[in-house]
This record gives sequence, C-alpha cells and structure tokens, in this order.
Amino acid sequence: MKALSSNERHEEGLIQFVSEHAGAKMLAMTSSFPYFFIGRIIKVMDDYVILSVETTNVAELENREWHLHIHDIEVFYIERDGWPAIPDLKETGGDG
Amino acid sequence: MKRFFHIVAIPIRIVLNQFGDHNPNGMMYVLKENERKVKRLVKKNPFTPVELVQPLIIRANAGDDIEILFENKLPFPAGIHMEEADYDVMDSDGAEVGFNHSSLVKKGKKTTYHFKVNRPGTYPFSDLGNPSSTEKGSNGNGLFGALFVQKRGSWWTHPETGGPITSGPFADIHHPFLPSFREYAWLFHDEMETDDLTGNKPINLMTNEQSESTHAVNYRYEPLGNRKKLVDEGVVCPECDGEEVHHDSWVFGDPATPILRGYKGDPAVVRLVHSGVKETHVFHYHVHQWLKDPSNADAEIIDAQSISPQSWYDIEPLYGLGSMQGSIGDAIVHCHLYPHFEAGMWGMNRIFDTLQDGTQYYPDGTRIKALQPLPDRPKPPKPTKDKPGFPNFIPGKPGFKAPRPPLGIEGGRGLTQLEKNAAIENPRPGAVFADPCGFNPEAPIVEYRVSAIELPIIYNRQGWHDPKGRIFVLDEDLEAVLSGEKEPEPLVIHTPAGTCVRIAFTNLLPEIAGGDVFQMFTRTYEAGFHIHFMKFDGLVNDGANVGWNYDSSVLTGQTIHYEYYADVELKAWFYHDHLFAAHYQQHGVFGSGVIHPRFTTFLDSKTGEPVVEGTEITAVHPLIPDYRDLSLFVQDFTLLYNRDGKPIQPPDYPGSQDDPGVFGVNYKCEPLQFRLKGPGDPAYSFSSYVNGDPITPVFKCYKGDPLRIRLIQGAQEESHSFHVHGMRWKAERPDVETRFESQKHIGISESFTLETLATHAGDYLWTFATEEDLWNGLWGLIRAFDEPVEGLIQLTDQKQRHPVPLLLPEPDGIPPVKAAEIDRPASAEAPLRRFDITAFHVPLNYSKYGEHDPYGIVFAHKEDIDAILNGLKAPEPLILRVNAGEEVEIHLTNALTPGHFPFEDGVWPYPEVKEQAFYPPSLRISLHPQLVLADVKTSSGETAGFNFDQSAGPGETIAYRWYIDHAFGASGLWDMTDIRNHRSLGTFGILIAEPRGSEMLDPVYLTEENKASSIVLKHPFLPETREYVLVMHDGVRLEDKKGNLIIDPADGILGETEEEDLFDTYDQGSRGFNYRTERLIRRLERHEETAWLFSSKAHGDPSTPVFEAYPGDPVTIRLVNPSERRRAHTFRLHGHYWNADAMDLTSEVKSFDGPIITGHTADLKLHYGAGGWYGLSGDYLYRSGNIRWDIELGMWGILRVYKRMQKHLPPLEMKKADPK
Repeated sequence: MKALSSNERHEEGLIQFVSEHAGAKMLAMTSSFPYFFIGRIIKVMDDYVILSVETTNVAELENREWHLHIHDIEVFYIERDGWPAIPDLKETGGDG
Repeated sequence: MKRFFHIVAIPIRIVLNQFGDHNPNGMMYVLKENERKVKRLVKKNPFTPVELVQPLIIRANAGDDIEILFENKLPFPAGIHMEEADYDVMDSDGAEVGFNHSSLVKKGKKTTYHFKVNRPGTYPFSDLGNPSSTEKGSNGNGLFGALFVQKRGSWWTHPETGGPITSGPFADIHHPFLPSFREYAWLFHDEMETDDLTGNKPINLMTNEQSESTHAVNYRYEPLGNRKKLVDEGVVCPECDGEEVHHDSWVFGDPATPILRGYKGDPAVVRLVHSGVKETHVFHYHVHQWLKDPSNADAEIIDAQSISPQSWYDIEPLYGLGSMQGSIGDAIVHCHLYPHFEAGMWGMNRIFDTLQDGTQYYPDGTRIKALQPLPDRPKPPKPTKDKPGFPNFIPGKPGFKAPRPPLGIEGGRGLTQLEKNAAIENPRPGAVFADPCGFNPEAPIVEYRVSAIELPIIYNRQGWHDPKGRIFVLDEDLEAVLSGEKEPEPLVIHTPAGTCVRIAFTNLLPEIAGGDVFQMFTRTYEAGFHIHFMKFDGLVNDGANVGWNYDSSVLTGQTIHYEYYADVELKAWFYHDHLFAAHYQQHGVFGSGVIHPRFTTFLDSKTGEPVVEGTEITAVHPLIPDYRDLSLFVQDFTLLYNRDGKPIQPPDYPGSQDDPGVFGVNYKCEPLQFRLKGPGDPAYSFSSYVNGDPITPVFKCYKGDPLRIRLIQGAQEESHSFHVHGMRWKAERPDVETRFESQKHIGISESFTLETLATHAGDYLWTFATEEDLWNGLWGLIRAFDEPVEGLIQLTDQKQRHPVPLLLPEPDGIPPVKAAEIDRPASAEAPLRRFDITAFHVPLNYSKYGEHDPYGIVFAHKEDIDAILNGLKAPEPLILRVNAGEEVEIHLTNALTPGHFPFEDGVWPYPEVKEQAFYPPSLRISLHPQLVLADVKTSSGETAGFNFDQSAGPGETIAYRWYIDHAFGASGLWDMTDIRNHRSLGTFGILIAEPRGSEMLDPVYLTEENKASSIVLKHPFLPETREYVLVMHDGVRLEDKKGNLIIDPADGILGETEEEDLFDTYDQGSRGFNYRTERLIRRLERHEETAWLFSSKAHGDPSTPVFEAYPGDPVTIRLVNPSERRRAHTFRLHGHYWNADAMDLTSEVKSFDGPIITGHTADLKLHYGAGGWYGLSGDYLYRSGNIRWDIELGMWGILRVYKRMQKHLPPLEMKKADPK
C-alpha cells in the first residue's frame, strides 16, 4: 500500500479529529460566505462535516444543516470538557 | 473591432427646462448624422428642451479601436480630450501641450482621432482648446460628453423600442452570457450660463435676488424657484408651498431632469460623470446602495459619492432596481449639497412593477413611454384595472400634493381597495408595498420613538449660539434635553445587524422658521425622517415627497411609523429631514444610527450601563474584540449669534445660499481666535495646559482599545477634510488590502467608519484640517489613558484592573515643557535615519514671470540652507524619503525671526478666512507627519491636549522619533504651530515610505539623492522606477514682479473678470505644485491665442515641474496636498492610468485622483510606465481637473517622455539592457 504523504496524513487527521467529536459544539470559519458557523456536529461524511448550525453571520442561514468541506475550514474550535465554552450568541436588538 | 464616429462641435442654444431657462451660448458635441436635425429642432423650439440636445454619449466595447472624425464649427480651436483611453499624445490628445503637435482643430476644419479602449468603464471627454472658466469657456457651456465602454461582446438597444441605438444617455446593454442591464448617463455640470424666458438672469422669487448658479444634470435642471411660481400664482395647488413639494409630480408633473426608468429588480449602472468646472458635488441615490468600487467585492458599501470636476464613478446598485426588498416607485437622485439640490440638480429613478408598452398614462394624463423588459428578466405583469401598477394605484389627485401613506400615520387612514391589491401580504405601518423585514421573520424588533424639536443650542464657551436649533431626540430624553439636564448632541442610535428597526417619529417642530438676518420667514409645516443605507419600502417610508410617491412626512404634532431592516453590519446610517432640509438642516436636523455586528450590546462608556444611543459608547461582543464607538458630525452653514446677539457671518441678504454662517461639529465649535491664553502664542492653541480642554468632543479610551470612528457630515454644502494626528486606518474599512490613510474627504451625507487605535497613551488631535474649518473650531481630542481611570469602563475582553481617580492637570496658561526623553517607537534593531531640518524665511519664486512670495518659509535639510539662501538651489517643499523598517530621528531647528511675516499685527487680510481675528504670527515651528508610528505625547508635531511641547522656539531645536513600519508611500508633513500665519507661506512637505532596501539616485548623475522631487528608485528586487513628487497646494499669497499683490482667482481669470464677491473665502489665493505656478493669464498676455496656452513652442516650458522619462520607464507619482483650503481639486494626467489604491492590486483603474483636499495623499503607479499603453513619446499634461479656477491659476505641468536618448538623462537599467 502506498504510504500517505504528509498532506494526506494532515487531511486524514483533521477528518478523524472532527469525527471523534460528533455531538460536540463546533465553531468553524471559512473564507467564503457566510464565513462562520456555530453548531453541533451531527456526523462526518467522507471529508464533509454535517453541522446543525445555530449561528452564522446572517440569521436567514441559521437553524439548518450545513455540509462543510472540512478542508475549506480555515479555523475551528470544538467544545470539550474543561475547555472554554463557545459563547451563546443571542439576538436581543442590542439591549443586552 | 473598429468603431467610427463623426462628431461635430457646434454652438447651440441649450434649453434647460420647461420654464424656458436657457443658455443662449451653449456648445455641444453632436454626431454628424444628427447635426441638421438638432439645429432644426432647436430653431423650432426656442423655449422648450429638445431631447437630442443632451451631452453626447457614445458606446463601444473593451478592446475596440475608436476612430473619431472631429469637425469644429465653434469660433475657436477646439478638440476632444478623451480621459481613460490609450492614444498617441501627438495626434489624439485633443490639446496642444508642450512641444507636441496640436491636436486641436481650427474653426471649420477636421481631424481624426484614434483611441484604444482597453477597459470597460466610463471615458469622459471634453474640450481643452478653451480652458477659460468664464462664460466664454467651452466646458462650462456644455462641450463635454462620454464614451461608455462595455464588456467585450456586448451590444446595446434602445430602452423604448428595443431597436438599435447609436448615441443617447440611456441604453439597455446585453451580453451573450452576462445579465442585461439598464445603463443611465448622469453627467453633473455646474456654472452654465443661464438666462430665463425673458433673456434675463433668473431671479430667486423668495429673495428677489439673482438665482444661484446653475447646477444641472445632462443639460437639464429643475430649480425650486420655477415650480414655486406656479404655486404662488395659483396655477397648481395654491396651498402647498414648501421646499420638498417641488419634487412632487402630483403637483407639477414630471421634471425636465433625467428620469431613469426600469422594472423592479433590473440590474442597472448609473455612469456618473462630473463634467462641470468647479464644485465637488455629492451624488446620492435614494433607496439603493452600491460598492464603492464595483470591480471589487471587498469594497465598502456606500450610498453617496463625492465627485470632483472631471472625475467619474460607475454606480451599480446592489440587488438591482428597488434593492433587496424590491421597493417600487420613484427614488430621487440628487446632489446632496442643498443649495445645488434646490437649484435643480436632481432627477429620479422610476421603478415600475407593471409592463409599460406605451399605452398607459400617468395620473396627470401624460403618456408613459414604452419600456422594453430586459430580455433575460421575467416580464412584468400587464397592468389591469384592479392592479394598475405604480403610480396608478396611489389615491392622489393631479395638481394637488401627494397623498400621505396608508397605515403609518397615527390616526391616519387605512388602505383603499387598489392599494390593498398592490400591497404585500401583511401590510403594516411603514411596510405596505415592500417588506423590508420579511427576509427574516425571526428578526428581533426594536422600536425607537424619536421627535424633532426646536431649542436653543450653545456652541461654545464664548456664547456663540443658535437660538433656533432643531434636532432629533429620543422621546425618553425630551424632558432632560429641554430642561438642559442633558446636553444636546446629534442623536446616534445603536442597533445590531439583522434587526428590524421601527421608528415612531413625531414632528414637534414649530410651523414657522427663519424670519431673521440669515433666513427668510418660512412655513415648515411638515417634517419626516429620511434615512440612508437601510432596507425599506421607498413608497411610504422615504420620509420625503418625491415624484408619484406618497408624501411620507407628517404635520406638526403628528406621529408616523417607519420600518427598516439592516441586512448586514453597516456603518452609520445617516438620517435627516427631507421636507425643509435646505432651510433648516444646518440648524441640527440630522443624526445617525450605527448598525453593529450581530449580537453586539452597547454600554455607557462612563458607567457601563446599557444604552441605546450616544455619540460615545462602548460596544461589547461575545466573539470579536470590544470597541469604542465614536461619532462625529461636521456641519457648515451653521447660523450662529455671538453672546451679544450679533449674527456671525450673516449673508448679504436673508435667504442667500452664499456660504452663510460658520461651522460646527456635534453642535459645538472651539475657534482658535479664543485660544491665545498664557503667552498668546498660536503654537499653544491646542494645548489644554494653556487653554483648557476644548468644548468639542474629547473622546476617551485606553491605549490599544479598538476604536470605530463614525464620520458623517450633517450639513450643508461644502467639502471637509477629517484628520486624526497620530492615528491611521484602512481607506475602506471592510477591505484590508486598501492603503492606510489618516485623512478623509467628506461631503454631506457620506458616512465612513474609520477603524483605528491609540498606539500610545496621550492626546490625539482630531481636526477638520482645512484652514478655515480649523480656524473656526472644528477640532477636538481623543484621550488615551494607559492606566484604568474612574469614569471610563474597561473593555470587557481586557483584563480588568482597579481604576484610579481621574486627575487632569488644571489649565494655568503656562505652556508645557518639552519631553526630557523620547521613547523609541521602533525596536532597538531598527536602523536609525537622522534628518537635520531647519525652518527659515526665504522669498519663493513661483514662476518665470516674477510671481513670488516674499515672505516664504521653508523647511530644508541643513546641508542645503546656504545654497538656498544664496540662490544656488531653488527651494522645494521638504522631501524626506525613508525605507520601511527604519526609525527616523528628526532634529528640527527654528531659524524664524520677527519682522519677516506679512502681517505682524496678527490679522491676515488675504487669502482670508471667515471670522478674521487677531492671531499674531508664531515664532515657533513644528513638523507634523501622517501615517508614521510615534509617541503622540512627544513626536506628533503639535502641542495638543496634555501632551508635551512639540514645537521649537527661535534658535531652538526639537527632536521627534518616527517609526516607518511599512512602505506606506506618500504622507504629508506640515507645521502645526500656526495654521494662519505659516502654512501657506510654505511650511509643508512630504515624507515617503519606500520599500525596504531602496536606494535613491539623482536621475542625471546617478549619485545618491533622496531630497529631490525627481529621483530614480533602485531596488534589488523591484524594477528601477522614476519617482516624481507633486505637492499640490493652494491659498498662496503672491506678489507680481513689481511687488503688487496678486488677488486670485480674480486676477488670474482668462477673459472678462467676474465680480470678486463670486469667490468664496476658500477659493481665495494662488495655487500650484511644489512652490511653482504657471498662471495662464501670463501666457495670454504674451499671446491671445487660447489654443497655445499649454504650448512650450509658444511660451517655453512652464515654471511648474517638467518631469522627464523614456517610454516604458516605470513611474510612481507621490502626490500630497498638505495646504490648505476647502475647495477640493482633482488630479489628472493625460494618457495614463493607475490603480485607484496603490496598495490594492484589485482596485479599479482610473486616470484621475480626487477629491483632493488638505491632508490627501496618493501614490500613482502608472500602468505600463511613462508613455502609457502604447509607450509613446511626447508631452503629457498633468493638471487639476477643475477648469474653474485651478488650471487657469497654474495648477498644471508636464511629464515629458523622450523618444531618443538625452545626454542629460541616463536610461534606467532595463533600457540599458534593451535600448530598443
């Protein structure tokens, strides 16, 4: 079997890492619109993560499932025990 | 593809509107095929506009070769000078410049011009054979037009017939695989000679004085005065006199000015061109927004665009006509400068929702012209009896004012059946025919109750006040504001994106206004809340009374409900009244909302309590860094009285729009004439130690806090220049690739967010930097603390520390000391470059005609002083070149002496400013830099707030340290000790941050040279480049060779001199580049041929810089405008173009830079190098775009590109390698 290149190992590792956290809350940022997503990881299919998105940049795109190509995610954070929680973003019209 | 046009320049009578206002001496370009027809029609219709008499608009595709056979039938040599195009300057420049052959055409003759158009966009053209600014000049009389260049493969059809079209301002543009769009030409122009129906100068019926200058669009204007006549004489609606009513088509029918027609959702481009000669206008288009740079998706979103003479912008409204919410009806398009708006500079964008096939009629019986649907858009439904479409479902009555909207007004009416049929599914107050919040039914709803009130406002500690201030205020603050408990300030409300905003607006304004020395008595019986940027139903929610729309304002005592949606984070959305804006907006009727990122909350910066409004708040966000949000509104035409009740700068007669009053910022001003405490030295005018803190905003923050400065102009007619000393920001906030700047030109209704921070603790001086603004008090401070203090909360995402009591020094009139030590702004490894600079008096020779400033003061390098004083070296404005990564140590020595100032008694009579007062010449000096990193307490070059003294007294030396952290290019330098008595004498210069590793060489000797205006820049990795410095400046006081004072503009005008009182204070003074001028009047005195005015064959080379290069040489022009007046300029260079933002490779490519005003900086990296795309030799004119009064007054010079090697000019390395 052909040995994996370092890039392939890196990509496989990412998929593995996200898969292991199914059910956890994830913040992911992409370079394309709508740029950021917060939601629960439902599962990983091939190299796509399926997120139940609670929050994005615009309200119209929230509360739905998003399929994100894991390798298009530039920055991410997954909530874990003992780590800081992703802030709960509430829409209040600005009055706190 | 080759395209051929036969164009004739003809004299023509231009009728500007249905009232018979006309220019008997008009001139126009016309296609040969239309020449006879147009002449015949004009002869037949001497007092009505002829459709063909419009600026010539022709079209081509990118990549086309354009051949123009030009024929001149005007009584002087004329031509076509095409901007943006590539051409041979010897035969197609439409001018006679330097040693070029003339490409002007004598009367009765013809020539052929050849142009290559390589980029889609707007290519304005105009005449340069007669650059006089008088009524005899060609540009002011209409000799201009434009070539619109489409994307390759496009074709165009007539919007009415769908058939072919050869010229004309409106067309539908199609492409095999891009969406079709509506194309509208919108050519602003000003100062056109105008007579009324009787052949006399038009009279303003309200003041019985001569009307304002003509401000027009596409040879049409629709002034208030004409329509008012019909009301006054009872022809229409005798009861409905009012400022805004003159935009009401229900009363008057449609205006003569352009109506840009389309269907809801149609993609569109407004090609906005300034073909005028003088003013910088502000284009504003209701209901719509667009990207500042349509070619760049990262560009900032705007809905108002300042435009200076001979410049252009393509306006592509986002989401097409009607914007995202699909608003229908009439969206007014106008110059936002109220005197221009009132003078007739407006038109409309009419958005239909039903098919117009030419069989329908407007409510007044006028036939609606057919409008072909765009072929790739769904066909609009045909109008039916039940659903007649806009405007025929609106229950108005022709001849009477537009009806008020249904549902919105408390106690008002419901919907008629026709309105119900046209309405959205769930019509409600403020959202009847379009649903702005419908995209997001879950959006939180926030309602603000806002009233407009009248109250006296005190502007400063000297008692300057506006007894008739009019402002917006939250209802919950009404009592506190009216009782004096809460200081009046412009209302700024804060909302996160994604919110549905509802405004309940109550008109509590008195029904009458004016009746004083400033203004005529006026009934102001209705008011509205007109907003920018947000999404809303334009028909019922515009807060205006436009076209066939509703009148969405209310009478005194009434309340109306509006609804808006913010789809994305925006900057500040400007709001104001639209009903009597020209009459009372300058009294304070303006405010803004800020749309912050979603999930932001807002805190009082002092207490930490939640707030919804305020010009200084703290914004807190769970994800992104918290920030301070600071709002500044600049105002002019501010109508104030002094403590004794005497009016300040009243006009010659009440109601005059000739620059009445003074200035304000957030309803305050701190004039410098009152800042002479202690030693009485202007050098300490900004010092809080000597004069206390100003009454204008002193914003507070901690070092390093993110700041978002919301910059808005609230009133009324003029350009302003905002500048923060010691701070900088990206030119367009969302686009991180744009260049850094520390200054912003602003016109009324524009809105900018400047995202910045205080790198050091200290007081940062913010100013509106032109001389007259600053003199009259438009400045304040941003105070940055390094330790937490009581009265200023810490940002929640910072480590919280225990605050200490805030103890500020007591002002005692004693100037601060100089800093004992200056902190290094750079790391210890940064290489240090030292400059020893001296400021001294030396007469400056501005031209070969002996025009000179006997009182010049220059900054010069120490080693050049003797040569300058001995006349061996001609002084230039100070030039400092530094490589990125270097730290600069400046040692500035003051060699000023008493007795060398023109006005030692302390009042400078010419060029003057408003509110002349005693301000004795300071003998101190300083040097302020833009864009560098420095400790503001010691090295910003001004003694502001509680910072150290940063000036040098006579014989003293002061040191500054600046860090040049990257190659930001050009930045301005100027003295800040005395803006009245120093700057226009020459105390300015330029600092250039070059790429790391650059070497600077003399272009002739190739020896090290970094101080000259022309050098060769050598770099290990970058191409060798010729670098030219142009310091554009105005406000200069010159004397002629006999020592007689030159009074410009009057003395420099070609032809009949106009009345001196035509000139605003800020027009006064001579002007030029690099302490040089080439006033055309001197050339005309030598020879009367106007065609030869730029000719070196006739007059020799100009006194202004002649820069030299070979074809293809890489060229960068470093352009700054450190001094000093408020009239904005445009910079143009013939035959060349560059990226509008030198740091942003994706920025649009243009052949102009502007609007240029004090503090402006630019780096123009010429595409394809010297000689342009063709790389051809010749003389290329660089100049201002302002025909009135810049070019005449000497703001021009030459870039000379040699074909053959010159002995005195060694080639660049690449030329040596390949001499071909």
